[in-house]
Amino acid sequence: MSSISTQAVIDLIQKFHIVDTEEPLTPDSDLFSCGLDSLAMMQLMLHLERDFNVRISPAEMTRNHFASPEVLATWLSHPNRTPA
Amino acid sequence: MSRQVDVIVAGGGSAGLAAALAAARQGADTLLIERQTKLGGMGTSALVHTFCGLFHPDVSQPWAWVNPGIAQEIGQQMLERTGQAGPELMGRVYVLRQHPTLYAQIADELCAALPHLTVLSGAEWIGLRQDGDWELEVITRGSVKKLRAPALVDTTGDATGARLCDPSWCTQAEPARLYRPAYISAFHGVTGVHDDAWRLTVGAMIVRAVRDEKLPAAAMGAGFRDSPFVGETFLTLDLEAGQGDWDPFDPVKRARVEQEGRAVTLALWRLLRAEHADFKDCAPPMLPTKAGIRETARYLGDYVITGDDLASSRRFEDEIALAAWPMEKRENARGPKFRYFDQPLPPGIPARCLKREAVPGLFFAGRCLSADHEALASLRVMGTCMATGEAAGKMAVDFALRR
Repeated sequence: MSSISTQAVIDLIQKFHIVDTEEPLTPDSDLFSCGLDSLAMMQLMLHLERDFNVRISPAEMTRNHFASPEVLATWLSHPNRTPA
Repeated sequence: MSRQVDVIVAGGGSAGLAAALAAARQGADTLLIERQTKLGGMGTSALVHTFCGLFHPDVSQPWAWVNPGIAQEIGQQMLERTGQAGPELMGRVYVLRQHPTLYAQIADELCAALPHLTVLSGAEWIGLRQDGDWELEVITRGSVKKLRAPALVDTTGDATGARLCDPSWCTQAEPARLYRPAYISAFHGVTGVHDDAWRLTVGAMIVRAVRDEKLPAAAMGAGFRDSPFVGETFLTLDLEAGQGDWDPFDPVKRARVEQEGRAVTLALWRLLRAEHADFKDCAPPMLPTKAGIRETARYLGDYVITGDDLASSRRFEDEIALAAWPMEKRENARGPKFRYFDQPLPPGIPARCLKREAVPGLFFAGRCLSADHEALASLRVMGTCMATGEAAGKMAVDFALRR
């Protein structure tokens, strides 16, 4: 599985207006305090699956995995994750 | 055939219930007109199962009632009857889980205790004119009645009085911005522990099914919240309602919204029964009497309270109640956008938002008080409606007595 960069995750979040924030997103931005609610998490999941060709199972939808762009990118790129 | 009283309250939702109780408790001969057969409005007929706007917005402190009076009285009754010790902290707000059946019971008991109060059920308001007194026409199963009073409180949520008598007294957001209706149903027999992780898993399952075209797109914003009673879970859907095409006063579009709500709810029930173990033995959900309407038309009073007034926790010399809920804006089905108060302090709501100088004897409260589109997103919640309703009821009695 190809690795997914933190910047690519940030770009995707901004491109699809997943969170409403005036401050620019950084790798360690707390996505939940930027306004990532459960519905926005679902939208982000769909975009991640489509753009990065990964598969995220419902059981993997936890707040820990979506804590920040960097955490999300690292988790998605982890070699132990089931590929799409 | 006509009946004369001191105060008529039109619309028996949270605002109208409080207005009628307040008026009758001061000894005024009061009529409360309701077109459904239960009082409580959205909290009974639409299964809205949280009382919002009852508590001080500072969640760094222990919870506290923000408005004394009928709002607190009903909240306290609900705590006792549901066996809860207090509200819950959900994100940045305190919320009281309420039960629609118990709300109907509380409303009945509070009204029945007042000999001066008469409730008219199944009565649709169809005409209004002023000839010194207000004269209302209502129809029940083809039978028209005339009701007369010096003071009238419009708690219809739709500014019905203005729309029947003089539409220049009211205003309405353009269709594309109207807050979307919610469709709420009650699921029984769902097992498991429904914590945040559970809700995310179910949400992801729904989103995946939407993407795989096993569910309609309208299922996307579905959310579950447990009732205070074990084994019962409420499902809330925010409906797009045709986005710019939505018109809450068009019965054809209303029918479409209700049909869509039912269809999506049952599609979700079918999918989750098949795919999620906790729903395996779940009976078909109980449907609401009607969709939950968040915004239609509202009055233009002597003051139009704004979103900026609320955000800055502005206080007023003539304030009659305090707001407490953030502006929860639902202009589309992609979830709410919140605007919180800048400081965790409750803003005031002035008496001028409940009346119009040029139309003496008419008062309005609840969802159709005088507010802009953004402020409405805070003031429309049931706890705040009870507080503005109570104030309008008292103002109506004062007016009727002065006459």
